[in-house]
Amino acid sequence: MARFKDLPIQRKLTLLLMLTSVGVMVIMRLAFFVYEYRTFREATVRQLSILGKITADNSTAALAFGNRSDAGETLSALHAEPNVVAAALYDPAGKLFAQYPAQPAAAQLPPAPGADGYQFSPDRLAGFEPVVQAGRRLGTLYLQLDTGAILGAWLRGSLGIAILVMALAIVLAYLLSHWLQRQISRPILALADTARAVSDRRDYSVRATKLGHDELGLLTDAFNQMLTQIQEQDLALRHNERRFRALIEHSSDSISLVNSQNCILYLSPAVAAVEGYAPEELVGRNGVENTHPDDLPLLREVIAQLLASPGRSIPVVWRRRHKAGHWVWLEGTATNLLGDPAVSAIVTNYRDITERRNSETEIKRLNEDLERRVVERTAQLESANADLRRSRAVFENLFVSLPGLFLVLNPELRIVAASDAYLKATMTTRDGILGRGLFEVFPDNPDDPAATGVSNLRASLNRVIQNLAPDAMAIQKYDVRRPDGVFEERFWSPVNSPVLGADRALEYIIHRVEDVTDFVRRKSAQTNGDGSLQARLERMEAEIFQSSQRVQAANQQLEAANKELEAFSYSVSHDLRAPLRHVDGFASLLTKRAEKTLDTQSLRYLTTISGAAKQMGRLIDDLLSFSRMSRTTLRLAEVDQDALVAGIVREGNYEQSGRTIAWEIAPLPPVHADAAMLRQVWVNLIENAVKYSGKNPAPRIVIGCQSANGAAAEQVFFVRDNGVGFDMAYAGKLFGVFQRLHGPSEFEGTGIGLANIRRIIARHGGRTWADGRVGEGAVFYFSLPVKPPSP
Amino acid sequence: MSPKPASLRPILLAEDNPNDVELTLAALHSLNLANDITVVHDGAEALDFLHRRGTFTGRVSVQPAVVLLDLKMPRVDGLEVLRQIRADPALRALPIVILTSSREENDLVKGYQLGANAYVVKPVDFDEFISAVSQLGVFWALVNEPPPAPPAA
Repeated sequence: MARFKDLPIQRKLTLLLMLTSVGVMVIMRLAFFVYEYRTFREATVRQLSILGKITADNSTAALAFGNRSDAGETLSALHAEPNVVAAALYDPAGKLFAQYPAQPAAAQLPPAPGADGYQFSPDRLAGFEPVVQAGRRLGTLYLQLDTGAILGAWLRGSLGIAILVMALAIVLAYLLSHWLQRQISRPILALADTARAVSDRRDYSVRATKLGHDELGLLTDAFNQMLTQIQEQDLALRHNERRFRALIEHSSDSISLVNSQNCILYLSPAVAAVEGYAPEELVGRNGVENTHPDDLPLLREVIAQLLASPGRSIPVVWRRRHKAGHWVWLEGTATNLLGDPAVSAIVTNYRDITERRNSETEIKRLNEDLERRVVERTAQLESANADLRRSRAVFENLFVSLPGLFLVLNPELRIVAASDAYLKATMTTRDGILGRGLFEVFPDNPDDPAATGVSNLRASLNRVIQNLAPDAMAIQKYDVRRPDGVFEERFWSPVNSPVLGADRALEYIIHRVEDVTDFVRRKSAQTNGDGSLQARLERMEAEIFQSSQRVQAANQQLEAANKELEAFSYSVSHDLRAPLRHVDGFASLLTKRAEKTLDTQSLRYLTTISGAAKQMGRLIDDLLSFSRMSRTTLRLAEVDQDALVAGIVREGNYEQSGRTIAWEIAPLPPVHADAAMLRQVWVNLIENAVKYSGKNPAPRIVIGCQSANGAAAEQVFFVRDNGVGFDMAYAGKLFGVFQRLHGPSEFEGTGIGLANIRRIIARHGGRTWADGRVGEGAVFYFSLPVKPPSP
Repeated sequence: MSPKPASLRPILLAEDNPNDVELTLAALHSLNLANDITVVHDGAEALDFLHRRGTFTGRVSVQPAVVLLDLKMPRVDGLEVLRQIRADPALRALPIVILTSSREENDLVKGYQLGANAYVVKPVDFDEFISAVSQLGVFWALVNEPPPAPPAA
């Protein structure tokens, strides 16, 4: 049957049809044959029976007469029927009466007649026929027919026909089946061809041809529909696959598929960037190869864990050898997807983290280095701190143990520190004075109405704060209070010095004193000296003390006078200028109003009034500026005199109204001075030169610096003109306030310019002088010290 | 109240000296300004005017386009007037020009530190004086746009 199954459907169908038709035919033939056989036997029996009856009838006479030869004759007539092989006549007693053939083998004839009727035995039909005449039985006839020959002939004829018919039928059936099976097999074959085409070429676009609307037609439709679906799914699948493939192949991460034996199945192209190998160089090789020996145990452990737990992901960091030979740090995640039939591999995606790893290592190293340095530095600082504390303690100890009398104040005049000697001399304790105000601790003696200790000391300290410079005081009487509250007379020689911080701000004031009480007392006790050297010295010192007291008093008077001067100039500035303005103002208004009615003389008077008022206004302004010049603090800085002078000449615009001045300006060295004041010096000198050379048709002004001889302490600058000059007899007056050598009708001016110059140069520590001759011009000089004066 | 242009606002002159008042007025009048010119004779009066109190209670005119302020005045001096104006939220923006005889550095420094808009020294020369005051009048009464007037108190 297995072979039948494998037959092509065409053969199968043909065979089926043939077998069916042949089977049917065989069964029908068999039935027909059985029927024919029975008919043939019955016919044979009937023929034999007829033959028997005829023969019996023919034998009646012989029997009735017992004529054996007749009987024999009758029987021998049977030879016409060759198939009758034996015949016999038995008399009524059952004795053999005649036989046919004449000498048959005794065994072939039954010895006695049996029952009437015919019996088939193999290849023989034999029977007994009664011989009856007129109802009287005369004997029995036995006939034996050889059926074999008859049957053989019949069989031969019948089978021949059967075979012929069947042969014809089979041919016909074959032809029919061959034609019929095509109706069924063709669509199936077409379908099969289509299916083979699909499966061979994976071409889902082909379609089976539909040949009818039967079940096969439906099948074809269903098949085509299925193909359509497959085609769509295939397309979607391809898209998906392309997408995922693109994802994988363009990922910067390298992706590997490894089977359970660590054999590499797949590598994404990124592996080239990560490990230097093309994917095909590694596919098929062992995935553990190239691993850094130190990382092998880890990798094996990871693989073991992965194999033990399907579906699990394990992050891993390890090193592999790059194709170029160096080690690459990799970081990735491995997932056991062996159980997933679509993957069946351990999937690892990994990337090169060498750079990160290196920078991490570097950062770690730097951090460690930093930490180490912090620790070192901390240790250094701690040790430095300890040193500092030690040295601070040393210095504190040194300070308090100083033999001198020292007191340290902060800028608010609170006591910060004191030496032991100071505490002893002032009968105070450190705890009792630290942090307290100086004058709270040391007030004036209330019993001494002439006490000036507090005010003098305060003034000196204020000067220190103001000038940031040391201030030595004259010997002071400054009584100190004993712990019991009683004041004791004391004389002191104090010096106050500032302690400046980095920003030159005042941080502390050191107040150093010497207790000169004994000396002063002894001095006053010995009014009349004994003439010894010691006594004379002491007298001298006492005088110095007294004169220093006087100098201090004079200084204070000077300060007060300065203050008054300031108030005075302020008052001048405001109060004196107002009436002058009024004089000029009203004179002008009057002029305007009465211009038409007043005579010329009156108008001239008014003009004079105005002019006088204006001149006085200018004098006051100049005087004020002169006074201000004396009081303003110097702001010393390096001054570029070349630029300064060039600027003044350019901006002064001195060559208006067609005048041409021949300027000769030599290079000037820079100086250390107050820029604004120095500018005023140069402006005044240059304007003077322009003014007083105004009447010369070819004015010439020379500005320069006299070359100093060697390491001179000062530099000399000059301005020379070829103007009207002056008489050297009056040279001493030139630099005085409001001193003029020319009338206002000749040259305008108030006479303050040169006074200002002298004041400014003097404040810079320099000198001013002039040289001239009437009608031949003048030279004005000023000098500035090379080293600037302390302000 | 919509802000009035500077030309319709008064000019306040705070000056104790009658001669200076006369000369200043003469200079301002020579300009033919449309602005009213109010004269007060000391700092206290100036503050009363600006605060609409004392003799100025019920004053309806808007705040001045500019205050020309002398420094040396009886009762309350100019710098104090300036300080009080600048400390008052309602008057803080008022333009103040110091018009004084003093050229002292201290006065200049203090005046500007307290927020004066200008500092003019009265020249002794009357022509220069006329010129200075005229320039002030033209600038502050015509050219300058004053701050918007606050709602009437």
